Amino acid sequence: MDTASIISTLHPLEVKVLLSFGQNTLITSALLMDKLQYNIGQSNQAISWLEQKNILKEKSRRTVISYTLTGLGHDYRQKGTPEERIVSLIEKEKELSLPEIASKLGLENKDVGSAFGLLSKNGVLEMNEAKKAVIRDIAKLAVITPIKDLLEFCAQKESVVEDELPAGLVAAAKEHGKKRGAASGILKMSERDVVEYAFTNTYPATVAALKDSGLTGDEIGTLTPDIIRSGDWRKKGFRSYNINTAPVRVLLGRKSPYVDFLDKLKDQLTSLGFEEYDGPLVETEFWNSDALFMPQFHPARDIHDVYYIKEPTHAKEIDEPFLSNVASTHENGWKTGSRGWCYKFDRNFTKKLILRSQGTVLSAKALTTAKIPGKYFGVARCFRYDKVDATHLADFYQTEGIVLGDSVNLKTLLGLLKMFAEEVAGAKEVKYVPAYFPFTEPSVEVHIKHPILGWFELGGAGIFRPEVTKPLGIDVPVLAWGLGIDRMALMSLGLKDLRDLFSFDIEEVRLRRRS
Amino acid sequence: MPKIEVNRDIFYSQVGKKLTPDELVDILECAKGELDEIDDASGVLKIELNDTNRPDLWSTMGLARQLACYRGEKRKAYGFFSTQAKQQKNEKKKIIVDKNLKNIRPFIAAFVATGPKIDDAHLIDLIQSQEKLCGNYGSKRKTIAMGVYRENIISYPIQYSAADPDKTMFVPLEFDRELSLREICEQHPKGIEFGLIVKDFPRYPFLTDANGEVLSFPPIINSAKLGAVKVGDEKLFVELTGTDIDTLLLACSVVACDLADAGYSIEPVTVVYPYDTPYGKEITTPFYFQKEIQLNIEDAIKLLGDVISVDEAAKAIERMGNPVRIDKNSIILAPPEFRNDFMHPVDIIEEIVMGKGLKAFTPVMPKDFTVGRLSPQEEFSRKAREIMTGLGFQEMIYNYLGSKKDFIEKMKIPGTDVIEILNPMTENYEIVRNSILPNLLMSESVSANAVYPHRIFESGKIARKDSTENYGSKTENHLAFLVAESEVGFNEASALVSGLFFYMGKEYTLAPLEDPRFIGGRSARIIFGNKEVGLMGEIHPEILEAWNIVMPCIAVEVNLDLIRG
Repeated sequence: MDTASIISTLHPLEVKVLLSFGQNTLITSALLMDKLQYNIGQSNQAISWLEQKNILKEKSRRTVISYTLTGLGHDYRQKGTPEERIVSLIEKEKELSLPEIASKLGLENKDVGSAFGLLSKNGVLEMNEAKKAVIRDIAKLAVITPIKDLLEFCAQKESVVEDELPAGLVAAAKEHGKKRGAASGILKMSERDVVEYAFTNTYPATVAALKDSGLTGDEIGTLTPDIIRSGDWRKKGFRSYNINTAPVRVLLGRKSPYVDFLDKLKDQLTSLGFEEYDGPLVETEFWNSDALFMPQFHPARDIHDVYYIKEPTHAKEIDEPFLSNVASTHENGWKTGSRGWCYKFDRNFTKKLILRSQGTVLSAKALTTAKIPGKYFGVARCFRYDKVDATHLADFYQTEGIVLGDSVNLKTLLGLLKMFAEEVAGAKEVKYVPAYFPFTEPSVEVHIKHPILGWFELGGAGIFRPEVTKPLGIDVPVLAWGLGIDRMALMSLGLKDLRDLFSFDIEEVRLRRRS
Repeated sequence: MPKIEVNRDIFYSQVGKKLTPDELVDILECAKGELDEIDDASGVLKIELNDTNRPDLWSTMGLARQLACYRGEKRKAYGFFSTQAKQQKNEKKKIIVDKNLKNIRPFIAAFVATGPKIDDAHLIDLIQSQEKLCGNYGSKRKTIAMGVYRENIISYPIQYSAADPDKTMFVPLEFDRELSLREICEQHPKGIEFGLIVKDFPRYPFLTDANGEVLSFPPIINSAKLGAVKVGDEKLFVELTGTDIDTLLLACSVVACDLADAGYSIEPVTVVYPYDTPYGKEITTPFYFQKEIQLNIEDAIKLLGDVISVDEAAKAIERMGNPVRIDKNSIILAPPEFRNDFMHPVDIIEEIVMGKGLKAFTPVMPKDFTVGRLSPQEEFSRKAREIMTGLGFQEMIYNYLGSKKDFIEKMKIPGTDVIEILNPMTENYEIVRNSILPNLLMSESVSANAVYPHRIFESGKIARKDSTENYGSKTENHLAFLVAESEVGFNEASALVSGLFFYMGKEYTLAPLEDPRFIGGRSARIIFGNKEVGLMGEIHPEILEAWNIVMPCIAVEVNLDLIRG
């Protein structure tokens, strides 16, 4: 990095170091704390930054031992050491047993024991025949007094460096200072490395450039209301920030990308003139299948294809005249021009409650109240008795709709599918293939060439059979369509597994984006 | 959707041309078929057929017949069919039906096929036809079951009787000892699979020849003695039994036409019933029962959106293999022997579409002007969702099905209003959610590694029992949200609810709540227009513990339908 760009990234803490000391000054944190009134963190930070910029370089490193008085140490200093207290107590009481001493001084028996041990070893006290401690030679007490001096000395400061100790106390400090478990002793000893740094040969150029730039280290960091109000910013410059500092993570409120995808789909459909319909999750066999002219004996209506409700099992009633119309249509075609399915329609089975298995339920129900001409759609949660895996879900969305009108026909059905292919899926090429659905005739599948996915089936459609529309009171042709949007949704979300559309994982959903 | 495997060589020789894969894909459209796979090594084509009402297409011969006709080959004539007007009675080969079968399995159809020695490929195809016809079209043998036998060891007349399940014994295929009919239902693999069809009847269907030799126990299993057809057999006896006469007769016709196409000559068999059938007491099968159906060309023009002449329409219909005649503005179609899917004139219109090909119809945009709009529920949900994202929440979307463990046990609620599924596949999906809160807690429980705070919500449906409703339940649009953070409490919940309602433009009040899911005294019912519309508060540590959550959570759930008003 050239000098100019180094200058532009200097923090005020660094600027002040450069401007305050000459090239030959050895820099230590203690020095910065002393001369620049930095706290320890600021000092270390300034040195570390300057070192990274190759302006400072480590020159020497030595270990410094320092001592700090512990809580116990302070206690001894104020009340005296157990030894002193024991001696003065016995001077007063002449003779006492050790437990008596402990109880009078409020000390632990073991502390009294070890203090007495020390005192008797040094000849200050002794035990008489009555097993009581008595004075032997009070003058010998002086041998143990350095502790008192040590405590006094160390109490002067927060911590005392070994070099500062008077020669007579060094041995005692070494003896009593403890690195670990200091709480049970009187002094805590700590070792720390003191590092001296020297300026490198970049110093002159950097300082010269710094002086030229006019930076003083007093530039404005955070702009505060006070600075704006006082106008101080007119006098001082602004400190430059490192624009490449890694940004912090932002947590924002946002839509689920999958719901967003569905929103866009609904918006597209409404913009094409479709009105949205909705309905309950629990449905009857009647609306789920019977109204769609699927015979009650149809293999696809096996117990293993839909979920039945445990309780209640049946709806109270099915609206008339729809029930009777549909029942007759199944049995003999009613007035629809069909021969019907020729079997006895089960009016109890039709009331059975299930979880709706296809969005077409909503289309059938919409027919009973639909406007003509009319266009309707629904994005409906449906339920299937399927083993859940990457391509099958137990509940999922189906997008379906209808178009009613006197002028709708096969060609407008194809036109509608073309519009979906182009507008909803962005396809350029469209292909129609004959298909089979129980409730439409004719029926068509639309295949599209997607820019990324290639050819795939976008959806199915057809013209509702008269056996579906007439019993529900509709005499005009009705186009019914359904779009398979899951593949497009997965692609849009960068997913491969349908289960991930409904993920529980907050982080995963937070990081998911729509393409 | 039935999937079939066809022998490529036999198939193409019947179609009349060796097709390239692309040609095959294109022409399969006339049968609503999709090519799944070509297995070059075994020479097998795997094809999926989408029309569940066209069982005639579910065999090599039947599918080839449709394609050949579409390519322009002449329709085949089948001279062995009887009609109600003209029966080709077979006095030598009869089946006598027992009156007790009327309410058990009343109908039977049969014929004899004589021809080239049956080879591997044809035998495989015959077995496949049987499986698809009986399994798929015949609802797993309930309405159709079929048996094939070596004809030269059968003596007529054949008795179709109702037999005592315990006293009637024979050796079934794949076994080497005699079992009673009931034992077959309990012990034989086919009995275990299909036994339920007959289990509850006092007597079981039973087929024997004039010498009392057992043919089979329909619809379960053939006898080991007469019912084992092998490669090299050249005379086959085919019988089908069932519950619906039209379905049965159609299936019989399909198999007969297939064998005829394969070079067999078909000899009818006469069935004598002690009770009435729609076609009399004596039916000689194969039997043509289908009725003519008429289409007015105007109806076709309206539905197709294209002006088309009667002649042009008739040609398209014929191309699909249907005999037609024209009567002024109408087309009268006599369904082919192997089809019975013309229920309504629209079914003929579809034949026109197929015969002409979809490419002949130009897409036209619908012209009617209509106003598009979102449902009121969706409009309101979007409003609420916008406020929630503005409040800094990440939207989630969850499945609506779940387990009792998550939605009832862990929530410490009685769960009396939870809708249970009668036939769950697994316990993971056994109930419909009655609240969004368990979903949000599930998210929290699996997301401890996501940067905090967690602010998530969902707007979606729930359903719960409600005995006042016609369906016994009610679906509601709910909004729920959750905040998980080391310092979060009721005040935050209260502030968020206040913000939500302010921007929804609604007034609310709070009332105390006693609910095991929340901490008492730190939770509330949200009241709107004298109705309780939601709950809010600090989630009780008991619930957090059940979900293995160690972060304090607040949560709110409201019924948007009630607030929307």
